[in-house]
Amino acid sequence: MRVVLDQFEAFVGVNFFTMIFAWINLVILYVFLKKLLFKPVKKMIDSRQQEIDDMYSEAESSRESANEMKAEYEEKIAKANEESEDILRRAQRRAELREEEILKEANVKAARVLERAEEQIELEKKQAINDVKDEVSSIAIDIAEAVIERDINKADHDALIDEFIDKLGESV
Amino acid sequence: MDINVSGAKIFFEIDIFGLTIKITQTAVSLLAVTILLITAAYFLGKNLKKRPGKLQVITEKLVTMLYNMVEDTMGKHNAKFAPYIGTLFLSSIIGTLLGMTQIFRSTTADLSVTLAWALVTSVMVWYSNIKNFGFKAWLKGFTEPIVVMTPMNIVSEIAQPISLAFRHFGNVAGGGVLTSLVYAALSMISSIVFGWLPGLLGEIPFFTAGIPAFLSIYFDLFSGFVQALVFSLLTMVYVGSANPPPEDIAPESNNA
Repeated sequence: MRVVLDQFEAFVGVNFFTMIFAWINLVILYVFLKKLLFKPVKKMIDSRQQEIDDMYSEAESSRESANEMKAEYEEKIAKANEESEDILRRAQRRAELREEEILKEANVKAARVLERAEEQIELEKKQAINDVKDEVSSIAIDIAEAVIERDINKADHDALIDEFIDKLGESV
Repeated sequence: MDINVSGAKIFFEIDIFGLTIKITQTAVSLLAVTILLITAAYFLGKNLKKRPGKLQVITEKLVTMLYNMVEDTMGKHNAKFAPYIGTLFLSSIIGTLLGMTQIFRSTTADLSVTLAWALVTSVMVWYSNIKNFGFKAWLKGFTEPIVVMTPMNIVSEIAQPISLAFRHFGNVAGGGVLTSLVYAALSMISSIVFGWLPGLLGEIPFFTAGIPAFLSIYFDLFSGFVQALVFSLLTMVYVGSANPPPEDIAPESNNA
């Protein structure tokens, strides 16, 4: 090896060793740049792109399923509304029927009570009249006894009094 | 005033098997580019997260741009070429920008480097053609559209890597030459305008401050970027046309 001082190559010239050196450097650079820079960066870009694509398609599919679910729920809610309305309507009708029934029953009962009360009144009236009759007859007898001072036949007596009362009633 | 236009500086000469291998500035620059890019790739490529930081967002954006460009130019089926295109582009642009440091020489200002890269492109094209259409069909392709065109076709096949190499080399090296010419011219104007100043003050080339920076922005930054893009783009076009979509290959190979 010689150290050369102040010696230059031709301005336009080809040095075969420099060419070989250029090739070696190019190959080394190609291998290293590809391995260290281009491949990993490209891989990272592609994988990120892939991830974004996946995310978009996933979002799309979940949106679809959400829409499906929404439609399903809406249907369910509509059905439930219908059902509840139905239940309400039925309950109302039943309540109306029951009301009528109760009213009818109450009317019947009231009528019966009234009837019975009237009967009672009639009975008591009769009783009262009878009582009064008896009382009056006995008073009359007492009075008559006192007046005529003699005992008359009991049956005649009663007949007499009844007649008297009837006349009395007519005149009243 | 002398202006030296020369190639890369030779550091060492090694004699092996009767050959003299010259280790030049360019070789050192190539090594620097490799180390720089591998280090950067290591730090950018490690700890990649699903939720990226700022740096990762930029890295991902650039890688996505690279893949989109390759897929747009060469078709989706050729996405496997993206790492090579990316490597080529980064080697080219970093190699060119390295010249701005003034410590290293731009790798692409050496014809050996651009020619080596251009030959890789050609070999890829030839290999793809032979793989996709068969060796016979590839050879037959030189006689089309008519047999008389064969020498022309061969020339154009050889001219392709040469033009690719010289375009890139010429732009970067020419930019360097132009910059040094302007630099020299500015020093000369400086010495004329300020030469009368006493002592050391007269020797300071005032005009060289600032103006070459704008030239550097054009020749190193802009031209470096454009040439890296053009080289990568042409490689994509050449290799892409040799690798048509799989459904287009089947009928043509039947014809062959």
